Amino acid sequence: MKNIIVAGVGGQGLVLATKIISEAAFKEGLDVKTNDVVGLSQRGGMVWGSVRIGEKVYSPNIPLGEGDIILGMEPLEAYRWSYLMKEGAIIILNKKKVYPTPVLLEKEEYPEEEIDNLKNKFNIIEIDALEEAKTAGNIKAANTILIGVLAQHLDIKMTTWEEVLKENVPTKAVEENIKAFYMAYKH
Amino acid sequence: MKAVLTGNQAIARGFYEAGGRIAASYPGSPTVEIMESMKEYEEVYGEFSTNEKVALEVAIGGSFYGARSMASMKHVGVNIAADPLMTFTQTYINGGFILVTGDDPGMASSQNEQDNRIFGKFANMAVLYPGNSQESKDFMKEGLNLSEKYHMPVMVDITSRVCHSRGIVELENREDKIPLGFKIDQEKYTMLPPNTFKAQYFMKERLEKLEEYAYDSPINLLEEKEGADILIVTSGLMYYNLKELNLPISIYKLGMVYPISTKKIEELSKRYKRIIVLEEMMPFIENELILKGISCEGKKYFSFTGELHIEDIEKGLINAGVIKGEPNSIEKPKIVSRPPMFCSGCPHRPVFDVLKKMKVKVVGDIGCYSMSVLPAFEASHIMISMGACVGITKGMNKAMRRNNDEDPIVAVIGDGTFFHSGMPGFANLLHQMDEDDNMTFIVLDNRTTAMTGGQHNASSGRYNEKEDMHISIKDLLNTMGIENVVEVDQFNYKKLKETIQGETKKKGISVIITTRPCALRYKIKEPYYYVDPNICIGCRSCVKTNCPPIRMKKYEQHEKLKSSIDPDSCVGCSVCSQVCPVGAIKRSE
Repeated sequence: MKNIIVAGVGGQGLVLATKIISEAAFKEGLDVKTNDVVGLSQRGGMVWGSVRIGEKVYSPNIPLGEGDIILGMEPLEAYRWSYLMKEGAIIILNKKKVYPTPVLLEKEEYPEEEIDNLKNKFNIIEIDALEEAKTAGNIKAANTILIGVLAQHLDIKMTTWEEVLKENVPTKAVEENIKAFYMAYKH
Repeated sequence: MKAVLTGNQAIARGFYEAGGRIAASYPGSPTVEIMESMKEYEEVYGEFSTNEKVALEVAIGGSFYGARSMASMKHVGVNIAADPLMTFTQTYINGGFILVTGDDPGMASSQNEQDNRIFGKFANMAVLYPGNSQESKDFMKEGLNLSEKYHMPVMVDITSRVCHSRGIVELENREDKIPLGFKIDQEKYTMLPPNTFKAQYFMKERLEKLEEYAYDSPINLLEEKEGADILIVTSGLMYYNLKELNLPISIYKLGMVYPISTKKIEELSKRYKRIIVLEEMMPFIENELILKGISCEGKKYFSFTGELHIEDIEKGLINAGVIKGEPNSIEKPKIVSRPPMFCSGCPHRPVFDVLKKMKVKVVGDIGCYSMSVLPAFEASHIMISMGACVGITKGMNKAMRRNNDEDPIVAVIGDGTFFHSGMPGFANLLHQMDEDDNMTFIVLDNRTTAMTGGQHNASSGRYNEKEDMHISIKDLLNTMGIENVVEVDQFNYKKLKETIQGETKKKGISVIITTRPCALRYKIKEPYYYVDPNICIGCRSCVKTNCPPIRMKKYEQHEKLKSSIDPDSCVGCSVCSQVCPVGAIKRSE
């Protein structure tokens, strides 16, 4: 069983990311369940999802302390869910910060130090997905970069990922997304 | 063939496979995606109606003709649709009819947590309660069969988690169901006394027959473990969460939570020492069992509000003595919250900035602009339900004026909400006007139902030619007799401020229609703005407009913090530059 948390900010494309991961697992012949917490979330609120992949999955909810991987589209949001993770879990951390309202209004601090300390407990993979996506030729492929990094840690064939990406990204952006995926996968 | 579907997609798929023909909805989380995914199926006529009542009525019409029909809505939507529902349910259902309602335990995106299973019972309907995507599809098909067999409307009550959760679903072909047509039969379809007298017995008998079905239908799953003396009665997602704990207990999973078979539960109660009911929100199943004289426990171990996660169930069962051991002690750390906010370029931002600065009392309503309740604005002071701001404002105005209170009162309402249920409030305004009445209504006409993802509404066509409804809110209000209706471009901040200030000073009814469309649906593509730190005085006027890219920052050469704008997320609406008192914010090109 692999328990993956996808965490980000409303509008970052989290729902599509969980869709892509779940379809890749399904095409690989595995059982899969996901969650997306959406609703108010499109307006810059916190969003998170879970993907559970295994032989047989009952609940889409990840039991406390059972998380294997966080796909963090934003550092603070990755940190938020780290308490659910196993010790030594993998945290894929997109560097680009998005400041929440209490920080914008100077009521609270962005937890820089706590995020930095995650490395003491977890296996952190930092990545500047936006910059990498620009290199791949499409700024919108940032999530594909993150999925490419994730793919290194899942037992799903490259051809399966390619197939699912092709089905889920706009036709004119397929080439750049596949390029971004492989760039990240070899990262 | 199989596919990965969300619960919402599976509901639509089930309706399609069952030969469904007429589907109507009003967008509301968690069930928006049902109608969105219905677009895939050409054989189904689908629409987002003006409100849930109209959606239900459209579906009723389909069913009366004999076409399999459904209406979908969020839990509170059923309140709007309750009037036709409570009488329709007395009729002899012709074409299979399902009301899909999305409950929201934990209120991820709702103003209350009402448990609609109770509504289902109240309306004498069967209530089906799916727990994953496969069940969502299966229960739609079974529900339509039950509806036709027992001539009753069926409720499929799905929780937000199941709506948005994905799982693998077996796909099947569409069954062709030809509508039988409408045969005039007044006794069955005209709900006036004495026809309604008979209808009461008809509804009672329907439910009694359905209880016989509940006794051994595979929709209710009994999993008995050898040697177990505890039976957990549960339903929906709670069954799957419970399964994660892998316990040596027996489980009776109700796919249909109403009605429950008395005969079955009596038989089971004889075989088990304890019966524990596991359900989210209200003790619905627990109360049903108690009414049947079954000794059981439930809510004393599990919260009556919020979602029940695997660890909550574990904790409850430890307290009940079912599981030995200590509850999982991992605590959620306290981390800075991330409340939702207006998007970059959102047309609501300048309106609430002005209202906040005016310190005026504002009656809010439901839509993206509900977020004006939150910091940094805190500029809506009353919020109840869709369209409620109009009547509330009138009543408050009457109470104020009769108390010699001359403060202005402002209401804000979006275009979607205006058409949904604001119109009757406006039609009521001119009735018994007094000379000292003073009410100002701001209609935030952004040409879309934005909060739920940008569905069309009755005024969308005035901005987007592809859409087929072009009602002018101004003309409509004028026709109602409300004469003082002004339009203002709210991205002209000064003009907006003068307009609101001017109108709130006027006696009578003022309506201000703001004209900028939703920035999410109709993207603004202007050059980004930037802060010149040499001019910025650090007053935070721009920061207080709470725009995602704007924050205070440390610049080299400057000791004090100065404002900054992240060019990656600025869309160039210019509002911050207009609130800046010193002209420090400039357009990049």
